[in-house]
This record gives sequence, structure tokens and C-alpha cells, in this order.
Amino acid sequence: MITIDQVVKRRRSRTILDHVGFEARPGRVTAFLGPNGAGKSSTLRILLGLDHADSGTALFDGRPYRSLSDPLRTVGSMLEGSGAHRSRTARNHLAWVARSNGIPQRRIDEVLDEVGLTKDGKVRVAKYSLGMGQRLGIAAALLGEPEALVLDEPVNGLDPEGIRWIRGLLRGLADAGGTVLLSSHLMTEVADVADDLVVIAGGRIVTTGTVTDVTAGYGDLEEAFFALTGGTR
Amino acid sequence: MNALRAELRKALSLPAVWAGLAVTLFGSTAIAVLNSGRGKTAFETALGGMPLGTVGAVVIGVVAFSHEYTANNADAGGGRQITTTLTVTPQRIRILLAKVMAIVLLVVGSAAVTLPVTIGITHLIVDTTGPGVSFGDAIARCLGGTLYWTLMALIAFAITVILRNGVIPLIVLIVNSSVVSVSFLLSKLTSLAFWLPDVAGLRLFSDVMTVEGALDAGPGGLVMTGWAVVFCVAAGFVFTRRDA
Repeated sequence: MITIDQVVKRRRSRTILDHVGFEARPGRVTAFLGPNGAGKSSTLRILLGLDHADSGTALFDGRPYRSLSDPLRTVGSMLEGSGAHRSRTARNHLAWVARSNGIPQRRIDEVLDEVGLTKDGKVRVAKYSLGMGQRLGIAAALLGEPEALVLDEPVNGLDPEGIRWIRGLLRGLADAGGTVLLSSHLMTEVADVADDLVVIAGGRIVTTGTVTDVTAGYGDLEEAFFALTGGTR
Repeated sequence: MNALRAELRKALSLPAVWAGLAVTLFGSTAIAVLNSGRGKTAFETALGGMPLGTVGAVVIGVVAFSHEYTANNADAGGGRQITTTLTVTPQRIRILLAKVMAIVLLVVGSAAVTLPVTIGITHLIVDTTGPGVSFGDAIARCLGGTLYWTLMALIAFAITVILRNGVIPLIVLIVNSSVVSVSFLLSKLTSLAFWLPDVAGLRLFSDVMTVEGALDAGPGGLVMTGWAVVFCVAAGFVFTRRDA
């Protein structure tokens, strides 16, 4: 269970997150939607302890991320794509990540296989495409077999086959009782896999609920999205 | 412990760290060989290569942190490794301590290989006449040199953490420890410059006669250690408080 409550973040005089709060529940895929610059990444960065909130809390089963030891066994995450140094190979990257959380090295082969990078495990990350980088980032997130997954824009740069693959992966994790939270500015790409939607615009949560709740009164999700976020069609 | 092993693994799979180790070993040896035949004893000739080891140590100290902020190609998302580092080990002081320990191990390891190699080579090629150093002095100065390299690496590391950028400390510290020592020139103007970190520790390894007015090995070493501690504490203060 992920609980974000009353999170406020200011940069200089600008308020970029204004009392943001929502939940992501076990057994469900929660999609965090909003236009670029709405505050999705900022919220996830606070959730993962990368940035400080000015006030409010962001917790995993009641605990802040920074208090977790060997966090990869509890939460897998991906922000900023692969998160690997360009001069490393995928294997080298996964090796140190596994080492840092005491995860056995055999998991490296398993996650490379799971994300379809087995053949490219010895290629330097500098030569990776955006889609391959995303797959490597997801591989690292899966290393510790976590019960929660937090992914920032995971479908970015994936081809149609990749998008189909990631939907299956996320569905499978949620069906096994995991908590899945993913952000996206592409609502149609995630609508099929999401159980719950959280929509943010201008640093404020504008609506939360199941896909049916959010689209009620609108023609479809796209119409709902633009009406809620104040965009024009 | 997991964090330390991860940092060692990270460092050793980074080409720039190997470049630093190579500069220390081959650079020191090359300088020592070039300086042979200048009438100095074999031991003094060997220690003449110390500045290159300082350069190698600075490189290791800087890239151990600066590589975290290297961005990937824009068309591959432009991500940086620091995001991964901070999410796999969210306790920031633990990350800094692991990096400090990894740097110390790498620099001490490079000294343990480099110093015996350069001293061995100079003993083979330099005709030693006149009095050499005693065994005890030689060991003390080798250990002093290792401490000097380690402290310079840690100072370089801490400055990189504070600036979040490796280019400035790399250029300043490499030029200062190899081409021309700005702090050493300053010491000609004011004796306060003998308290600057790189000059304070000079007598840890160098011939006492070469630096007029410099601090002795003991106090000098303490002053330099003090600088390293101050820089590292400042780095810890900044790193734990700012957003990634």
C-alpha cells in the first residue's frame, strides 16, 4: 500500500505540488496521469526519497522510503530510464545494483530474460535505444522481487510490442497481490491496464477513482482527461 | 557492507577509475625512470614520481562521485546513475561512507603496488653513491606518501560532492599537483600557505631539505587530515540536505 498525504513542494517561490494526496492499493494497477510538468515526477521523486517535501508524507505500508534497508526487496522503481552509467554494460549495472541490496547474482540472468535483454546484456548502455534503456530500468526494478513497483513513464519509447509486454507484466504483478503505481502522460496507453486512475494538473490532484468513475459523464477517457486537466482538444 | 561492495564494484567497472590507477602506476614509474641519473639516490628518484600518484588519486576521488551525474544520451532518456544510487541505498550518509571507504581501498591498493615497483626499478637503474635512507625512514616516507595520496583523493572527492561536478576539481587539482603548484607558489608570498592542504602534507614523503619553512611531517599530516575531514563533513552536510 502506497499512501501519499498532503504533500507540498515549493521550488523558490513556486508551488509545484499543492497538497497532493492519493493511495495505490495492493492487487491493483494505479495510473498516475497528467500532462508534462503537472507534478508526476516530482511526486514520485518525493515518494522514493530523492527529493524532500516541504510538508506532507509519502509512505510504503506506513514507512518512508528512506527508512527501508535493502529497499529493492520492498519497492522496485524506475525514474529517468535506465539509471545506468553509459560506460557500463547492462550486466555490470545490474551486478552492482544487486550487490547493494544483497540480492543473489543469479537474479541478473532472470531479470534480463524477463525484460528481453538477454542478448544485449554485454552491450554498453551508451549504445542502448530509449526502449532498451526502459527495459533495463525495469529489470533493475524487478531484481529484488518487490511487492510494490513505482515506474515513471515506463511506456515512453517502447514500441507497440513493448507496450503490450509491459501491460502484461504489470497486470501479472498486480494479480499476484502487488502494488503497481505508474505515471504517464499517455492516458490511452495505460487505460487498458489500469484499475485506478489519479489525475494531476498544475500540481493538484483533480480526480481519483476507478476508470469507470473517472470517465463517468464524459464520452471516453481522452475527453475526461482533457476536461479535467484543462487542456484543449 | 553491501553498500561498500556495491561501490567497489561500481568503481572497478568504470574505465575512468582504471585510467586513474594506470596514471599512478605507469606515470610514477615513468617519472622515476626519466629522473634517474640526476645524481639523486635510488630512493629519492623513486619518490620523485609521487606527483603522478597524486594525479591518479585525484582522478579516482573525483570520478568516484562525478560519474553518478553523467547523463545518458538525450535520445536514450538522458537519465543519470545518481537516481539509481539513491534509490538502492536511500541513506545518504551510508552512500558517502561507502564511497570514502572504496576510495581509500583503491588508493592504498595503488600505492601498495606502485611504491615497491618504482623503488625496485630505480634500485636497478640508479647507481647509488653516498648515504641512502635507513629502512625505517623509507617505510615511514612510503606510508606518508600513501596517506598523502589518500587524503588528496578524499579532498578531491568531497569537493566534487559539494560542486556536483567533476571538471573543476579535476582541472584545478591535477594542474596544482603536477604542472605548477599554486599553493606552493603562494608559500613564497606568505607562510600561511604552508597550511594549505596539499603543501601541509608535503613532508609526509618528500625530502626534508627540499621545502624550506614547511610544516614537519607529523603536524603537516595532521593539518592535511584536518582539511580532508572538514571537506568531507561539508560534503556530507550538503549531500544529505539537497534534492538529488
